[in-house]
This record gives sequence, C-alpha cells and structure tokens, in this order.
Amino acid sequence: MRDRTVLHIEDNEYNRKIVRQLLSRTPYRLLEAADGEEGVAVAQRELPDLILMDVQLPKLSGLDATRLLRADPRTAHIPLVVVTSFALSGDDRRAMDAGASAYLAKPYSPRDLLTLIHKFLPEN
Amino acid sequence: MRRASATERMPPPVVALLASPLGALVRAVARIRASVHVKLLAGFLLFTRLFIAMTAVSLRTLTETARQTNLLDEAHERVGWSRQIEHALAMQMHFTAMALLSKDDDIVARILRENNRFNDTLARLEKAAPTEERALIQAIRGSQDDAMATVADIANAVRDGRLADAMTALRTRQEPLYAKIETLVGSLVAAEETRMASLRVSIAAASHYSLRVMAGFAVASIVLALLGGFVISWSFILPVREAHGFLSEVAEGRFGGTIVVPNRDEFGALAEHMNWMSRELRRLDDEQRVAAETLRSLNDRLALASRAKSEFLANMSHELRTPLNAILGFTEIMLDELYGEVPPTLREPLVDIQTNGRHLLRLINDVLDLSKIEAGRLELGVGEYSVQEIVEVVHASLKSLALEKGLAFTAGVSPDIPPAWGDGRRITQCLLNLAGNALKFTRQGRVDIEVRLDGEWLVYRVSDTGIGIPKDEVENIFAEFRQVDTTVTREYGGTGLGLSITKRLVELHGGRIGVESELGKGSRFFFTVPLRTDGGRA
Ligand SMILES: Nc1ncnc2c1ncn2[C@@H]1O[C@H](COP(=O)(O)OP(=O)(O)OP(=O)(O)O)[C@@H](O)[C@H]1O
Ligand SMILES: [Mg+2]
Repeated sequence: MRDRTVLHIEDNEYNRKIVRQLLSRTPYRLLEAADGEEGVAVAQRELPDLILMDVQLPKLSGLDATRLLRADPRTAHIPLVVVTSFALSGDDRRAMDAGASAYLAKPYSPRDLLTLIHKFLPEN
Repeated sequence: MRRASATERMPPPVVALLASPLGALVRAVARIRASVHVKLLAGFLLFTRLFIAMTAVSLRTLTETARQTNLLDEAHERVGWSRQIEHALAMQMHFTAMALLSKDDDIVARILRENNRFNDTLARLEKAAPTEERALIQAIRGSQDDAMATVADIANAVRDGRLADAMTALRTRQEPLYAKIETLVGSLVAAEETRMASLRVSIAAASHYSLRVMAGFAVASIVLALLGGFVISWSFILPVREAHGFLSEVAEGRFGGTIVVPNRDEFGALAEHMNWMSRELRRLDDEQRVAAETLRSLNDRLALASRAKSEFLANMSHELRTPLNAILGFTEIMLDELYGEVPPTLREPLVDIQTNGRHLLRLINDVLDLSKIEAGRLELGVGEYSVQEIVEVVHASLKSLALEKGLAFTAGVSPDIPPAWGDGRRITQCLLNLAGNALKFTRQGRVDIEVRLDGEWLVYRVSDTGIGIPKDEVENIFAEFRQVDTTVTREYGGTGLGLSITKRLVELHGGRIGVESELGKGSRFFFTVPLRTDGGRA
C-alpha cells in the first residue's frame, strides 16, 4: 500500500514549514500549494488522501476552492480540513457549509493538528 | 410663516367694529402717550363729568318747576280772596236792602263789619297781587269807598225817615257801584285765572322738557359709556392678543418674529421688551444651531476616525498574529523535539519564548475583539454548545496554574442543564477571563466555578478568596484598561481588557455581568446569559 498523501494549501511559507517538519517523522507524503488555484490543480492531479486548506488564500479563497473540490466527483470524497481564523467569527460554519469535513481554528497548536490528521488517516 | 393675526377667533361684531372708524379711534387711543392708569382714569372722569352735568340740569329744572308751582299756589289763593270779596259785596248789598226794609240801626253795624272784611281781604290781595293788578284793586277800593259813602247816606235817610230818598240812593248810586265793583272783581278773577292757566302750561312744558333732557342724557351716557368702554378696552385687548399670538409662536420654537402694536403705554413698552427678547432668543437659537452643527460634524468625523482606528487595529492584529502563530508553532515543535533532542539548557528559554508568545497572542486577540466590538463588527457564531464541556475546558486549562499557586479549584455544573444555544467559544472566553482573574488575584484559599439554571437563564459564577475590590472601584473595573491598583496588577500582569470584553460579550448574548466583593475577603463574579439566544438575530 502506497504512502498516504496529505495536501497542505497555505500561502504562508513558515506555516508550511511547520507542517513539513511536523510530518517529517511520519509516514505521510506531503504535497504543498501556495494559493487556491494551485491547490485545486494539485488536488485534482494527485488525488491526495487528506487536504488541509487555509481560509485566506490568494487567487482563490479557501472556501471557494473547497466548493470546487466538492463539486468535482474525483475529489468530492476526500477528507478536507479547513483552517479558520478565530478572529473571524462564523468562518467555521461557513467552512462546514462549503463542504469541509472538519475545521481547525487558528492559532492552532501543531500538536492539535497532528491529532486531527491521525483521526482522518490512522497510522497502522 | 405669518403669525395668526390678533383678529382671529374674535366675535364677528367686534371684527366689524374694529374695521369701522371706531377701529381708528381704538388705535388713536392706543397711540396716546399716557400710562394705562391715566387712560382709565380719564375715561372714568369723562363719565363722571357727564353725570354731574346731568344732575345740575335736572336740579335747575326742579327749582324752576317748584317756583312756578309756588306762583300757581299764590294765584290760587288770590282767586280765593277775590271770591271772598265778591261774597262780602253780596252781603253788603243784602244788608243794605235789609236796612231799608227793617229800618234797623243794627244792620248798619253789620254792613260796616262786612265792609271791614272786604277791606281786609282787599288789602291782603293788594299786597300779594302782581303790579299789573294793582290799578284794578285801586279802582275796586275807590268804588268801595264810594259805595260806603252811599251806604252812609242811605243809612242817614233811613234814620231820618226819608225812605224815598234812601230808595233812590240805593237804586241810582248804590246798585251801579256794586255792579261796577262786581265787574272789577270779576276781571281780577279772570286775570288770575288766565295767569294760572299759563303757569300750568309752563309747568307742564318744564316737566316735559326736563324729561327729555334726562332721557337725552341717559341715552348719551349709555352710548358714550359703551363707546368709551369699547375703545379703551380694545386699545388694551388688541396688544394683549398680539402678544398672545407672538408668545405662542415663541413657545413653538419660532424665534425672531416681531410684534407690532400702536400702543405707547405699558403695552407698548411690553411689546418693545418682547421684541428684544425675541431677537435675543433668535440670536441664541442661531448660535446654538451653529454649535450643534459643528458638534454634529465633529461627531461624524470622530465616528469616522474611531471606525478607521478600529479597522486599523483589526487589520494590524491580524497581521501581527500571522508571524506570532509561526513563532508559537516553531517553539512548540522544537519543544516536542521534532527537530531532535532539546538540550536541558535550551528548554527553559524555549518555554519562556512560548509563555511570552502566548501572552502576546492573548493581548492581540483582546485588542482585536475590543476593536471589533467597538466597530460593531463582532458577530456571535451561535450554535448548540454544552455548558458541561465549557466548564470542563476552562477548569482543565487553569488547573495547573491553581496547583502551582496551591489553591483549591473546583468546578460544579448542576446536572439539569440541557444543551444551550449561543456562541460557545465566546462563553468559554468569558468564563476563562473570570476564572483567570480569580486565580490571578488570589494568594491563598480557593476558587470555585459554579453554573446553574435559573428559569430561562444560565448563571455562571466564579468565587474566590482573593484580595477583593474596593467599593468605589467596583463600577470601574468593567471599563477598558481599568485596573484597581497598578502596583498590584504589575505584580499579577494583565492589561485591564479582560472584564470589559467579557461584559460586552455577555451583553451581546443579551445577558448581564456583576460582582459582589469585600476588600481582603474575596469576590464573587457572575454573569447571566439566556439558555437559548440567537445573539440578536431573529
Ligand atoms: N477576582 C478578582 N479579585 C480582585 N480584583 C479583581 C478580580 N477580577 C478583576 N479584578 C480587578 O479588576 C481589574 C480589571 O480586570 P480585567 O480582567 O479587566 O483586567 P486584568 O485582569 O488586569 O488584565 P487582563 O484581563 O486584560 O489580562 C483587575 O486589574 C483587578 O484590579
Ligand atoms: Mg483579567
């Protein structure tokens, strides 16, 4: 069985770096995208096992990207976690409405993120 | 915006009268430069003079009538006397005839007596008679004297027995004399009667005249009184009505009008003052309007500035948080040894970075919350939440702090609380703030969280045995950046935003917050929120 793939769509370089480091000791394969359009393209090409999507993204917002992926039958079933901003109330509900499987409020602790990833992709 | 004229709502006859030349008179009286007192006095004096004149005229008429009545009485008396004279004359004739028949001396004495009475009466008549009758009376006396001489002759003839002579004398001298006297007395009576008749006529005329004069005076005074009353009273009423209209205008907030009255009396002075007041009011009103306008625009600009400030703060906080998130993230994965083993000497500074980073993050979050609340842009993310879960989270996240300080820390939720509806994350924030404060401001003893249901309301309560709050500060601690004692809070840390944010969040839920505290003994903070709220959205 091939390594399970996690797609991280996030514009902030340092946040990507943290997740990269977080997953370096795990068996997951990490794909990255820096904006919404790229994220959708990578997701449709690679068909990852889990998508982490930031809400605020350049070019295409996280919520619009989520809707696009949910509308595409190839990606519709992929678990998708939207990283919302605590500051912007209502983001979480909007994320769930757009089709997210779960949401994680920023600022999140890397530990919590890892727990969430494990929940969707249990290590054998 | 012409004010209602003073003639409005006046009885139509008055309006008509005021439009007539009488109106001009009213205005003329108003224009007289004299005080109201003098005008009224003059009016009353005019009527008084009229009454005095009327009294004088009637008195004169009365005296005149009395005099004429007197004259009438006198004439009447004189007529009586004339009748007596006639009577005495008849008696003389009678006695003279008797003397002839009876040849009695005694009769002569009677004739003389009658003659005396005749003369007496004649004398009285003469004294009372008007001059024009004197001649007539003189003639009567002359004839009487002649008659008496004849009587003497007749008496002598009778005594001497010359009856034929006596008879002749009686017939030829005495009878014609008496006839003459009778005629004279008759014309005297006639003259008196004519006089009486004319007196009666003139008395009747006088009383008629006085009646007419009185009636004339009465009518004149009534007309004059009505006229004078109308003119004087309306010369006062008109300015009062004008003033009334003017003052209602002022009362309605329309300033700057003027009142025009012809009066040069107290009412004129009053109108002057009212105009002055009106101008002054207008000036003040204008000033106030300008001030209000300035204030309004200032206020608008301030609101705009305040909004801009809030937006700036919101953006800034967001921008600040992104790198801070990264710092906290890196620190955490370093401490979790994802970069390899952390040497013991580095662990403490890494934890310090984490502690300060978290503190900074909370500050930024608080400022962001506050600015959003102020900009009216904080919306509650309402949904179903579990009170038990909230209390558990708060208790769990503060447990270690309580343990560190050696404080007893309990949390109790009454079991009958159903799932609640509201912004669970914000409620958590509120309870965290209260419990965090309680732990912060308590050195020894305990901190207890307790939640119970009171009808439709959830009551969250946090009690501590800490330093307490002075009475005069209890009102203030819910305001932004308010801390009781900066030396104390420097020791404890914090910026003074926790309670003000909590208060506003609770109020956004439609609830309220409060505290009971005793200095040195401890505090009991509580807040209430509806069990189910949609946060103001229908
Ligand atoms: N439980 C308490 N006991 C005594 N004093 C209190 C208590 N809670 C609040 N106060 C007083 O009220 C002030 C305001 O509280 P608030 O929570 O708003 O600010 P802070 O705790 O000082 O700072 P921040 O919460 O922003 O970190 C505190 O500084 C303190 O003086
Ligand atoms: Mg506080």
